[in-house]
Amino acid sequence: MKQLTELATPFASVDTTLGNDVQWLKAQRLKALAVFNKQGLPSKKEEDWKYTSLWELSQQEFTHQASESTITAEQVEQAALLGDSYRLVIADGIFSAELSNLTNLPEGLFICPLSSEQGLAKAQPHLGQQVELAKAGFNALNMLLMNDGYMIAVKAEAQIDKPIEVLVINSGATQHLATHLRNVVVMEENCKATLIEHYVGLSDAVSLTNVITEVVLSSDAELNHYKLQQESPNAFHIATLSANQGRGSQWNTSSIALGAKLARTDVQSKLVGQESHTTMDGLYIVTGEQHVDHHTRIDHTVPNTTSEELYKGVLDEQSHAVFNGKVIVHKDAQKTDANQQNHNLLLSRGCEIDTKPEMEIYADDVKSAHGSTVGQINEDNLFFLRARGLDEVTARSLLTYAFAVDVLERISSATIREALSAQVEKHLPKGGKVL
Amino acid sequence: MLEIKNLHASVDGKEILKGINLTINAGEVHAIMGPNGAGKSTLSNVLAGRDGYEITQGEVLYKNEDLLALAAEERAQRGVFLAFQYPVEIPGVSNIYLLKAALNAVRKYQGLDDLDAIDFLTLVRSKLELVKMDEQFLHRGVNEGFSGGEKKRNEILQMALLEPSLAILDETDSGLDIDALRTVSDGVNALRSADRSIVMITHYQRLLDYIVPDFVHVLSNGQIVKSGDKELAKELEKTGYSWVNEEA
Repeated sequence: MKQLTELATPFASVDTTLGNDVQWLKAQRLKALAVFNKQGLPSKKEEDWKYTSLWELSQQEFTHQASESTITAEQVEQAALLGDSYRLVIADGIFSAELSNLTNLPEGLFICPLSSEQGLAKAQPHLGQQVELAKAGFNALNMLLMNDGYMIAVKAEAQIDKPIEVLVINSGATQHLATHLRNVVVMEENCKATLIEHYVGLSDAVSLTNVITEVVLSSDAELNHYKLQQESPNAFHIATLSANQGRGSQWNTSSIALGAKLARTDVQSKLVGQESHTTMDGLYIVTGEQHVDHHTRIDHTVPNTTSEELYKGVLDEQSHAVFNGKVIVHKDAQKTDANQQNHNLLLSRGCEIDTKPEMEIYADDVKSAHGSTVGQINEDNLFFLRARGLDEVTARSLLTYAFAVDVLERISSATIREALSAQVEKHLPKGGKVL
Repeated sequence: MLEIKNLHASVDGKEILKGINLTINAGEVHAIMGPNGAGKSTLSNVLAGRDGYEITQGEVLYKNEDLLALAAEERAQRGVFLAFQYPVEIPGVSNIYLLKAALNAVRKYQGLDDLDAIDFLTLVRSKLELVKMDEQFLHRGVNEGFSGGEKKRNEILQMALLEPSLAILDETDSGLDIDALRTVSDGVNALRSADRSIVMITHYQRLLDYIVPDFVHVLSNGQIVKSGDKELAKELEKTGYSWVNEEA
């Protein structure tokens, strides 16, 4: 067991790391090593990490070597969000063919683990194109230590009939397991797919998930891309979702963060083709001493692009949430239409929210709006529900759900919306069954 | 049904109700009228159990039970219904969900099972007719984007569904045009029955042309200063409330 900084040096000795014999990856890793040796883990002095302390994470010792995963098919069925889906399972850090359901893939859909030769080869042209190694954070560490992940490619014109669920499941059998995943999605012209990344902890073990997903959307491609984070209450979860969007493409994301002790998710999209659109939504519900941080960034780089962003948060007890949303309208990006909102509901006096919506606009013909609010349960609404016979806990849960529900309502697939709603309900105050 | 005895209540140390005495029997309709600041809303809020009021003296018995010892939801479950002066909007909670949750809360107290979806919908549809509301209102957020009249009709819809023993209508006529007033009044009148008591709290006599009370009380400066039948309301309409303050 080693601390993260020790784990990274020298990476070559970590034998579970994939692709040790692949030259291009080795070269990338040498660069990453140099960067990581210089930077280390980000500190609160960095603007992007001002409100999120990694001190506790830095003191933990981790191992990469999961003992053989004991996760059963039954546990996977229980943990999975969707019953009917194409499912790729990463169990205790490693792809499991037995637990996955990748038979009978439809024409035009390619899914395979990054740890396969084919997966790595397909990922190569895209891997690392969107996330800078030098950016303070976990990019260099991820490049150094990535040990699995997924590669998804959708062929031009293909309309994938069922959603794809990538289930990253940690049994906790190996204490202090660190899982470094790297994912690539390539959407060719005018294709459409729905993908959910689902992170689940089955125990209360300490663990680390460090994941980067890079998405490439060609012209008119549409990807509905959701992320559900339900890690163990002692887990550290660090994730980046990044997309590069061609003409007329749509990337609709929603990041639902319910678990983990500390979770940091960066979501970024670059609109590089005209008429492209990003929906970047999120919902975080935290309690106890949970810490959740979302940093988002949307770059409008060309004319006639649109973005819609809605992040909502519910905080209870001593929890702490951070939202930092950046929308950048570049010089030539005329006729951009951008809307960004962050709203927070505080259920107790002990919680803390740091919210910072930012817009930088360098074009002059732009429609944009942004705002953030922090509020509490409305006492008049609470009294109304109680005067209709609902007990106080149920009434509070219902009002909390009502606050959060529009993020869920913006999810276009009814199956996924209902499945996510059911998970969200479990995290309402006192877990009250509401609907 | 309801016995209010020497009720004193304060808000932030300021006494608003200064000794209310009132007995309401089953099947009766009482109107409580009074000028602004008389304590009308305080009385309805105290009866419904809103937080923030301190009862300094007196008691309220509802079906011979100490009403003031019960939480707001316990009162509702036992059949006390407050129709709000300003119904709140709750986007994200559908009207039909609210109706179902409220009805099931009452049924649970009565030891009954939840109604199944089909029976529930049949029941709700019959009540919608009573207040002339379209079924689409069921699927909108509670009062979300409703007009003033629609909000008040929605209150009466809830009342019709919950079939309370004691309904307190707080300024139900405020903000209603004449057509909406008629619809709401028809709804309330249809709910008059020998085992249900209704208390109407209102500033204006107008409502009493549509819902004719058995008794009229004048509330002023935290006390009931005069009681009578519906003729008292007409007198008030003519003379206004100025004499009340002089007498009190």
